[in-house]
Amino acid sequence: MLNVSIGFIYGISHILLSIYAYQHINSVDSVYFKFDSLSVLLNGLLSLILIPVLFHTRYYLNRHVPDRKMKGRFLSLMIVLSTAISGVYFSDNFLIIWVCLEITTIAVTFLIFHERYTDALEAAWKYLFISSFGITIAFLGILFLSVQSSSGLEASLSFSYLQSVATHLDPVFLKIAFLLLVTGYSIKLNLFPLYAATIDAKTAAPFPVNAIASTALINGGFVAVIRIYSVITKTGAASWAQHVLMIVGVLSLLIVSFQLFRVKRFKRMLAFSSMEHMALIAIALSLGKAGYYAALLHLVLHTLAKTGMFLNFGEIRACFQSGWIKDTGNYMKINGFSALIYLAGLLTITAIPPSGMFMSEFLLFKALLYTGNYILFAAILILLTIIIYVLFKLSMQLLYGQAPDSFNPEKAIINRYEPVSQLVLFGLVFYLAYFPPALFTGLMNAALQILN
Amino acid sequence: MILVCLIIFAVSMMYLFLAERISKYINLLIVQGILLFIVAFINLIEINTLGLIMILLETLLVKAIIIPRFLNKLRRTNNLKRLDESKIPTFYSIIIMTIIIIISFIAGYFVKNQFIQLKFFTVAISTVMGGIFFIIIHKNIFNHIVGFLIIENGAFLLSLAVGGEFPFLVSLAVLIDLLIAVLIIGVFVNKIGDTFEELSITSLTHIKD
Repeated sequence: MLNVSIGFIYGISHILLSIYAYQHINSVDSVYFKFDSLSVLLNGLLSLILIPVLFHTRYYLNRHVPDRKMKGRFLSLMIVLSTAISGVYFSDNFLIIWVCLEITTIAVTFLIFHERYTDALEAAWKYLFISSFGITIAFLGILFLSVQSSSGLEASLSFSYLQSVATHLDPVFLKIAFLLLVTGYSIKLNLFPLYAATIDAKTAAPFPVNAIASTALINGGFVAVIRIYSVITKTGAASWAQHVLMIVGVLSLLIVSFQLFRVKRFKRMLAFSSMEHMALIAIALSLGKAGYYAALLHLVLHTLAKTGMFLNFGEIRACFQSGWIKDTGNYMKINGFSALIYLAGLLTITAIPPSGMFMSEFLLFKALLYTGNYILFAAILILLTIIIYVLFKLSMQLLYGQAPDSFNPEKAIINRYEPVSQLVLFGLVFYLAYFPPALFTGLMNAALQILN
Repeated sequence: MILVCLIIFAVSMMYLFLAERISKYINLLIVQGILLFIVAFINLIEINTLGLIMILLETLLVKAIIIPRFLNKLRRTNNLKRLDESKIPTFYSIIIMTIIIIISFIAGYFVKNQFIQLKFFTVAISTVMGGIFFIIIHKNIFNHIVGFLIIENGAFLLSLAVGGEFPFLVSLAVLIDLLIAVLIIGVFVNKIGDTFEELSITSLTHIKD
């Protein structure tokens, strides 16, 4: 009961913070933090997904974590993780972002290892080590960035300051800093080159952790990269940075299309799906102004959709007592409502109309054609077709395949009200894409001003 | 004096690839921590007292005392003595490290800039690249921690090279973050030692589908 109350109070506080931040956009005077449109938008999104995530965390803890102390520890770490992610969004300084991302690393590591089994230990170790390595590489990038930002005795690494002096910065140092920051933060972004440890981490992490780490935390990595990108786009090195993002995006997409064929677990499949979407966002960013809106819209919609998918996975695991695809089957008959929601989620993340994500992908393809990237257009189309084929093939086993012999209907936990939260999330994806409210478009356009 | 310390630091990087005993790696980290303190102290003597305390904390206390003591404890707990499991023979490792140092000098020449102190820059870059190379050629995860700490030392040298001094609170947050990361990595090494037969990355392949 205490855990539930703490979770509830935290959720409410987070929402209040988002409302306060929205009311004080660009008006709070703090040395290290700032409420700008991008941070308000993403923090609001985190508040929104925290409601169902904290709600489903209760189910997860009751079903899989019998120890009361462990429940408390899990919830505390979730709170630390969410707070650190909000810290990343609101930071107005590269070093503060770095510190907050390091805190997320530590929180996620312990959350992965929460169930204390061998695979979780392996995944936690890999995530901790590679993430710490990545964070150190990013720190080197920050040091390069600080080369010419020194004013007086102290180096100023605030975005506002760096944006104002961007044209005076040496492009060589900016390029090195950008490359190191993108490489270092690629573990948070779930992109090439440091993607492997993230995929392993998401394979082992409990589903409420994934619902945050595959969405809000990825957005944190996005914010970290977009801040340096917004500085570099004001210099002569802009097109170079765009090429880097394009290479990262295309390579990530290629890796996903190959690796998905080997996937045998749902969480791993969803982790690769996140990598695919982040790759598309990186490609959209690399197209310059033509792709910025598509990138941000895709980021927002992916956050809602992937949260829903991971929460739905929680129901699948409760039903079949396993996360392996081979251990599932005939879900449409066993738990029809949840299976239908899964199908809706699958259509959403594969961007098949009327999915809301179709809209952002359509804008991306339009931007590709507008900028004359015809070969890339065709290549992405082919890779996405492969990815959609594999995702559907893997999902068909769950929905219509034969239930395994090991399936015991008496042990299956089915709650017919649980999928409602996912229905709302997928509905929101549709609503925001096709009927965006003025508040949302206003924030989106204001957020894009950072890049223009 | 600074130049002498930097040369000894570069030599310690070469010696790292010659050593096979775990205790030697830890001793090398202590030497590097002390060298970093001397270099930073001489270079930044004119900065404010808080800044100096920060450097004293980061180099002497954390890099030369706390972390090596912690690593020694880890070594004893996991009964690690000699780890001759490099994927590349020592001779070739030394040659590659020499090439890394030469490349760092060339890179230093190309990024020549009024804001950068080249003597620190070249050693910093070679230390970072050497640390990454050290991780790549070793299978044992204890050695990966050593490699990670060497990269950290390289990052510290790079911060001296670029000369920008960060605000005290931010430096403190960075230091605490790193210290916690290293301590937690150590805790996980212990858990891996208890769970798996050996502390090698070859044992950590179960999670792949």
